[in-house]
Amino acid sequence: MKIGTPKEIFEGEARVAMTPESARQLQKLGYDCAIETGAGAAAGFSDATYVDAGVEIIKTPAALWKSVDIVAKVRQPTTVELKRMTKGKTLISFFNPAGNEEGMELAKSKGANVIAMEMVPRISRAQKMDALSSMANIAGYRAVIEAGNNFGRFFTGQITAAGKVPPAKVLVVGAGVAGLAAVGTSTSLGAITLAFDVRPEVAEQVESMGAEFVYLDFEEEQADGASSGGYASVSSPEFREAQLAKFRELAPEVDIVITTALIPNREAPELWTEDMVASMKPGSVIVDLAAEKGGNCKLTVMDEKIVTDNGVTIIGYTDFPSRMAAQASTLYATNIRHMMTDLTPEKDGQINHDMEDDVIRGATVTFDKEITFPPPPPKIQAIAAKPKETVPELTAEEKRALEVAEFKQQTKNQVTLLAVGAALLLSVGLVAPPSFMQHFIVFVLAVFVGFQVIWNVAHSLHTPLMAVTNAISSIIILGALMQIGSGSFLVILLAALSVFMTGVNIFGGFLVTRRMLAMFQKS
Amino acid sequence: MLGFTTAAYVVAAVLFILSLGGLSGQESAKRAVWYGIVGMGLAVFATLIGPGAGLWWLSILLIPAGGFIGYNLATRVQMTQMPELVAAMHSLVGLAAVFVGFIAHIELGRVLAMDDTAKKALEGFAALLAKKDGVEIGILRVELFLGIFIGAVTFTGSVVAYGKLAGKLTSTATKLPGGHALNAVAAGLSLITLIWYCNTGGFFPLFLMTLAALFIGYHLIMGIGGADMPVVVSMLNSYSGWAAAAIGFSLGNDLLIVVGALVGSSGAILSYIMCKAMNRSFVSVILGGFGGTSGPQMEVEGEQVAIDADGVATALEEADSIVIIPGYGMAVAQAQQNVAELTRRLRARGKTVRFAIHPVAGRLPGHMNVLLAEAKVPYDIVMEMDEINDDFPETDVAIVIGSNDIVNPAAQDDPNSPIAGMPVLECWKAKQVFVSKRGQGTGYSGIENPLFFKENTRMFYGDAKASLDTLLTQIS
Repeated sequence: MKIGTPKEIFEGEARVAMTPESARQLQKLGYDCAIETGAGAAAGFSDATYVDAGVEIIKTPAALWKSVDIVAKVRQPTTVELKRMTKGKTLISFFNPAGNEEGMELAKSKGANVIAMEMVPRISRAQKMDALSSMANIAGYRAVIEAGNNFGRFFTGQITAAGKVPPAKVLVVGAGVAGLAAVGTSTSLGAITLAFDVRPEVAEQVESMGAEFVYLDFEEEQADGASSGGYASVSSPEFREAQLAKFRELAPEVDIVITTALIPNREAPELWTEDMVASMKPGSVIVDLAAEKGGNCKLTVMDEKIVTDNGVTIIGYTDFPSRMAAQASTLYATNIRHMMTDLTPEKDGQINHDMEDDVIRGATVTFDKEITFPPPPPKIQAIAAKPKETVPELTAEEKRALEVAEFKQQTKNQVTLLAVGAALLLSVGLVAPPSFMQHFIVFVLAVFVGFQVIWNVAHSLHTPLMAVTNAISSIIILGALMQIGSGSFLVILLAALSVFMTGVNIFGGFLVTRRMLAMFQKS
Repeated sequence: MLGFTTAAYVVAAVLFILSLGGLSGQESAKRAVWYGIVGMGLAVFATLIGPGAGLWWLSILLIPAGGFIGYNLATRVQMTQMPELVAAMHSLVGLAAVFVGFIAHIELGRVLAMDDTAKKALEGFAALLAKKDGVEIGILRVELFLGIFIGAVTFTGSVVAYGKLAGKLTSTATKLPGGHALNAVAAGLSLITLIWYCNTGGFFPLFLMTLAALFIGYHLIMGIGGADMPVVVSMLNSYSGWAAAAIGFSLGNDLLIVVGALVGSSGAILSYIMCKAMNRSFVSVILGGFGGTSGPQMEVEGEQVAIDADGVATALEEADSIVIIPGYGMAVAQAQQNVAELTRRLRARGKTVRFAIHPVAGRLPGHMNVLLAEAKVPYDIVMEMDEINDDFPETDVAIVIGSNDIVNPAAQDDPNSPIAGMPVLECWKAKQVFVSKRGQGTGYSGIENPLFFKENTRMFYGDAKASLDTLLTQIS
């Protein structure tokens, strides 16, 4: 089958879904590759490099869409592009299925199979095709670079002959992939970096990148990201208030704010209010990575850079990955290539669109004239970590109460046992002759002493205990000794045998015990 | 002389109590055995010179003869064969109890047949019998009947336990067709013969009961699996004590009663401790087989990942704290010396090495402690389950040598597992777990062990001794 990539027609889009490198890998899977002339030019890949990699160059988009079986592209396809799809063709692209009802209808009516790259489920196995993450990574990096570009000072603090330079203070809101990339870039440039996220479990990741996690004084149990596939969910109004108060406190101090807070399929939450912007120092920079979804700051203008009256620059670009087209194309093309690897288990150049596979099923939005969006929840949970059941610490009083209750229970048990025992003993005493009672009392006392003594025996000495009790139980020899002299031959024989056997036992038992005990030694 | 004998008995009883009580610590235990030996010597001596003992030359001849055999057995036996030896010796006590009971029966018959003048001339045990009235004779019959019954059960039970422990009989639980019903029939028969015997005093019902008791002992223990042997051995130990106590009643000998009760209660407590450690009721152990489960067991996911000696050596090299969990497999492979050598070398490098012992590891209570002690592992680094279970999360490497069920996480995770609720060593919480095991088979109870499939578990296949030998060449 043939896989082709057209030139992106979206204005300003510099990325390309196939690089010469990825084309070589795709050919190893058995596919023929084709590309529209000049498709890679904006990302720095000339037609010549594609030809070198064995890729066919096709002059017009119409010819390309017609001649290939699989189309790989970056941006959501336009209506014109979708109309070029025919039955059985596969399209791999960002598709925005949640906001692209018409697109899906059109693809369905055309009979095209569409794989939306943003729908790749967030499970470990699918990380290699997670284009959202690889693009977010670039966006985070680029956000810091853009901020630096518009920030009039150093990131790192310096003490020079010409005076002292304070370090820049960077606040990253939202510690997802983009946020963490921003944190990493910012700290490596030398800025003091703070980061915030509604999911407390990412604090560790933030701290591992060298930034400081901003904790809120808030008691509410936060739903961790594990239950929502690793994404943040909507927080309660109280929590939001606490969060905004914290930001208000930080606003005058920070020089650069990078907001990355997005909730899937929702308008971006407003986190950086106008009054915060107003309280910031002149020359500060805000980079709003959520600009496409309305922005975390309401002053943000999508795709534009503005400067407020108090001299704060707000950057609302949405094309950060495209601004680093070479890097972004390489990563995206690799994601596509991994997707193709999963679609081609036999490596024979034939697509095997396995709808049983969690990853492929999740990413597919139309298949075989059916809209298959939204997908069922993946069979494997994103993060299986079950919250640990913590045993609540008991307070001193509770412990005390527990002890008292236990003691009372114990006393009750003991008294009951004693009462029953005494009653039994008395009732036996009523009927049995005194000669029997005399022995019986000795017996009961001995059992009692035995219980008291044995409880204290060390666990590690249980085997010697058994050996020694075994030796001691040969006390039965006394019975034989007492009787051996009286009576018939049979009595003598049986008694003699008993004496002999218990003799074996006495010597063997004690000796073995001694051998065992001699081995125990202290270090 | 009667006064002297009684006094000697009192001293002997005190010595026996001290002997058992002294086992509360390793150091005092060494002294405690001497108390026991002296107590036994005193008791035998006092009986020999006391009233009623005749033919003392025969006794003096027979005791050393038996002692000679006992001495040889005890010095030759391997420490790993200890469980068999203890079981075998229990059978001797049981048989002796049966014989002594029969003698008492014969004597009773002889004395009752005499006329009054002849009775007056009797001395010793016979004289004691002669003085008894009707009720007392009835009680005596019950006592000696019980002594014979318990003795007979102990005898065959111990023989079967010996066979199982020594590998001469199959260690799986086997029952004759009819199962517990057969035991119940035999027990019912014994009860009928008791009534019969009390009324007639004849030999036949006694003989019939002995056969039934022998059968019960055999069949009961045959129906108990090898993994439950610690409970069985201590239970038989307890029985031999009760048998001695019952005989003591019929002979009117207080020392027999005291010592029998001591041994009996000690065995009972040990059995109770063992059962608690397995989270099972005594009855379910004795009746054999594991308790009922309410559903299918959890499927075990993942695969067992093998590792070679190099890998284990490297991990040990890097580890600071190491916990070794020995089990019956170590005893079978006779690997305790290698384990001890490994411990010495690791300790010489300044690593913390400790042993975690589960209460039911091995085939005898405290089995592992004895084996490790034999290999000169210092006892202060050998920990009980409760002492060490909390330390596993801080442990770098846990090494499981030949144990299975006692480290099975299913006991905690899977309510349908046959061993659910049994306290286990939580070794999977250690950073890394190595399992030295012969092959991929299941443990004694035949339960799949999810531990072997955990991500931090590596399987170190092979005979424990051979594996440790290769490992030792890597660690100098």
